[in-house]
Amino acid sequence: MTKGLSRGVVGCLVALLGVECMAWAQKGPKEVFAFPPLNKINLPEIHEVTLTNQMKVFLVEDRDFPTVDYKLMVRTGTVHDPADKAGLAAMTASVLLTGGSENTPGDLMLKKLEMMGGSLTCDANEYTVMVDMSLLREHAELGLDLMADMLLHPAFPQDKIDLAKVQQRTAIARRNDITYTLAIREFRKVIYGSQSPYARHPEYATVSAITRRDILDFFRRYFQPNNTQITVRGDFDWKEMVALLEKKLAGWTAHPVHVPPDPKVNYRYDFSVSYVEKLDATQSIILIGHIGGLMNDPDYPVMQVLSAILSSERMFKKLSSEEGLYWAGGAYDFGYSHPAVFSVGSQTKSESTVKVVRKMLDELKRITEQEVSDEELDLVRKFTVNGFVFEFESKEQIVDRLALYKYFNFPNDFLETVMKKVEKVTKADVLRAARTHLHPDSVHILVVGNQAKFDAPLSVLGPVKTIDITIPQGEPAERNTK
Amino acid sequence: MWPRSLWLSWFFFSVLLGGGLRSNAQTLDHFKSRVKAHTLGNGMKWIVLERHDAPVASFHIHADVGSVNESYGITGISHLLEHLAFSGTKVVGTKDYSKESALLDQRDALFDQIQEEKARINADPLKLKELQEAFHQKRQEAQKFEVAREFVDLSVKEGDRGLGASTSADFTQYTSSLPSNRLEFWMALNSDRFMNPVFRGLYRERESVLNERWIRIESSPGSILDGKLREDLAAMAFKAHPYHHDVIGHRSDLERITRRDVENYFRKYYAPSNLTAAIVGDVNPEEVFRLAELYFGRIPSLPKPEAVRTQEPEQWGERRFQVSAKAEPLLVVGYHRPGINHKDRFVFEAVSTILGNGHSSRLHQALVEKKKVAVEIGSFNGWPGEKFPHLCVFYAVPARGHSSEECLRALDEEIEKVKSEPVTGDELAKFKNMTKKRLIDSMKTNAQLAALLTRAEVLLGGWQRMFDEMQEVEVVSPADIRRIARTFLVRKNRTIGEIVPEEDQQ
Repeated sequence: MTKGLSRGVVGCLVALLGVECMAWAQKGPKEVFAFPPLNKINLPEIHEVTLTNQMKVFLVEDRDFPTVDYKLMVRTGTVHDPADKAGLAAMTASVLLTGGSENTPGDLMLKKLEMMGGSLTCDANEYTVMVDMSLLREHAELGLDLMADMLLHPAFPQDKIDLAKVQQRTAIARRNDITYTLAIREFRKVIYGSQSPYARHPEYATVSAITRRDILDFFRRYFQPNNTQITVRGDFDWKEMVALLEKKLAGWTAHPVHVPPDPKVNYRYDFSVSYVEKLDATQSIILIGHIGGLMNDPDYPVMQVLSAILSSERMFKKLSSEEGLYWAGGAYDFGYSHPAVFSVGSQTKSESTVKVVRKMLDELKRITEQEVSDEELDLVRKFTVNGFVFEFESKEQIVDRLALYKYFNFPNDFLETVMKKVEKVTKADVLRAARTHLHPDSVHILVVGNQAKFDAPLSVLGPVKTIDITIPQGEPAERNTK
Repeated sequence: MWPRSLWLSWFFFSVLLGGGLRSNAQTLDHFKSRVKAHTLGNGMKWIVLERHDAPVASFHIHADVGSVNESYGITGISHLLEHLAFSGTKVVGTKDYSKESALLDQRDALFDQIQEEKARINADPLKLKELQEAFHQKRQEAQKFEVAREFVDLSVKEGDRGLGASTSADFTQYTSSLPSNRLEFWMALNSDRFMNPVFRGLYRERESVLNERWIRIESSPGSILDGKLREDLAAMAFKAHPYHHDVIGHRSDLERITRRDVENYFRKYYAPSNLTAAIVGDVNPEEVFRLAELYFGRIPSLPKPEAVRTQEPEQWGERRFQVSAKAEPLLVVGYHRPGINHKDRFVFEAVSTILGNGHSSRLHQALVEKKKVAVEIGSFNGWPGEKFPHLCVFYAVPARGHSSEECLRALDEEIEKVKSEPVTGDELAKFKNMTKKRLIDSMKTNAQLAALLTRAEVLLGGWQRMFDEMQEVEVVSPADIRRIARTFLVRKNRTIGEIVPEEDQQ
């Protein structure tokens, strides 16, 4: 018997057992495939422990690679910067690292880590300060020694504070260099208000105003074990790791912590047109939108579907194809603890600016007036449902997601619940959600470009506010110095 | 849509290294033993690595063609072709190819006539206008038969979370990540793609690429890896070798590329013997090879394309250029070095790492911490490509109130030190540990592994080299580093570029 024939026999025997017979003829790409059942997903076991010092720990063993990762989240964030000291959280995070501890100055600490091939970062964002350490497994304990020392006895030396200020000032000087980043930044200010903690950013004056005392106070106020959670993932025995953490962090004792509630977002729907001039632009960046939503909104699942259709089918496929754009997209974003932003955006040549703005506005109207098509809904739903297995591809992904749910007090099975709802979304649901949450007549439009080249004056859209992005110079002492 | 990632060297430590390293070697040997390879009759290579943790698989097709293969008149074509590989085939993306085909040809013929007329010394504006109107009309007629983005939709509907492609100076790659029971579907869709492509969306994709060129290069003064600085560094450092033009291509070439050009280029460079595929995940190698034979075996053999002939000669002296832009200063310095397949390639990695990677690196300590002339420094190899002799790059972001010149002087000081004194044992150990960690981190996902396997197969002479180069890093010595520094980090061998802020207001 030839190899082919024997396979054929086996194949048909297999068919008799009710399993898919092996194909002999090629199928075309648009034919219907009968897929064999998907093998099961192996969910890792995640252990939750609270240490004696009240720090919460999530551990997952991952024996595939000889590494250990620690991710620590301190409940604070850039939204807790005082208005006149914007940049404080970021600077605290930065100098915690570069300053090291009283025993081991920052340069030496980072050198030791690099000697081990490890990495240690400390960054502040809106909702947390995250310390992220990654090591080869043989250095898991040594690394923890360094990290614990840094957290328990931080030095915050003046020279590193000065250096952090140099870096912040340089970042401020460069903040208009990339048009896309500039556009996002200004758009957030239009949506949240330029003074809102969700939109505000450091200036020379606020950076100068930050003192070592401010940094120490910020640190003591938030960096307590009872205000912190950590995920540990890697090649270890979880019980041994818990014992190690208890031992190394024993000196870090709990203290009363008061984290202010997240600043409120007082949003009023309104229509506006804003313009930022970039004389060297031959393309415009356009952002159109308003406030978004909260993740615990019962409409979150249906809005995910709407958002995907709007972005990929309407903005990208339709608009971008018609106009030959490099990109067009958008999202109705949801925040865990405060409303995020809804926006659609694109980039087009100057001569098409107003035309493209109008087309984008039309698409926003259309999706609130007519049901989406069966094809569009089918595509997005299938992509979400068929691709669901990818939410479980790696242990890192699984444990990081759980840590975030825990951080914001979301149920562990939030994702699964959303998925079940997405599977059942109908066209009528999408239309109702669009009418509830999208307000095409009350959008903020931001255009960054060179109006001299536009196809029509922006004022045809409405009264235009010009935004001045000149960087405020701050105190005379700050100019042209390090 | 091309990667800005810079490949690091890939190598593995020997099982002979002691202590806690045993588990590292186990990981690597464990992977190696789960790889199987197979070559089809038409020369296409297939590599499979089994990983059954999750019922998913990542698919990777590597075409051994990039901007380095392009000649004058068609720069940018590799990347444009990559865009057009999503445009569909005789089956996918069309309502009726038999009717559409004639219209596409007529449309393209009109484009040819327009180019001809434009090229005349006494071009007739009236005739041009007529031709352009006829062209637009024909385009719309042809588009009636098009099913927009059908290729993407078909894959996305099956849950493709990794659908993408990228083009570099050296290669073009196409990726997918699907639930593992979609194996045959992927085979059907992608074999059709490389067997019967129809580059119907040429004019739309050309617009998109021109926009991309604008966004990434012309309107971006820079970062090191994007913008005007990047394009000019390559142009200045390479006067002969095709690394001199950017992956995105020259605007004037892009405007004139025809569908015929793309088809010819495809036939030349997408011969099955020039394609390598890797699948990593919850799949059975025998099943993969069977399906590969069934689906991709249909593609007829074609001759393997000729290799790039031109070699870059030595520089006659240091080269320098400026980019004037409304942005803050930036400094970049590139030194010529051999291609990736060179016995000293890990020595170059050691030079980059010790000088410019990490907080404790020499450049960070000198320029950022001590002298405070820069807020950021870095160094990397493999630019703009790695297959051929290329550049070892250093960069500095001057601190506010400081200049690129100061950074350059400080950089020179550190380079002289590396030439005169051997690096310390500590620094060397650091390099080895950092590289080991990078290596492990680079192997985390199926998609990463698939990319590494194809890269090793095509660039290094065999996928095994990804697992077998255990000895090479261990033998890097301080004497090697000093030798390489003295040979290559010399003024005559370098090109310096900087962003010079424009005088006027923003």
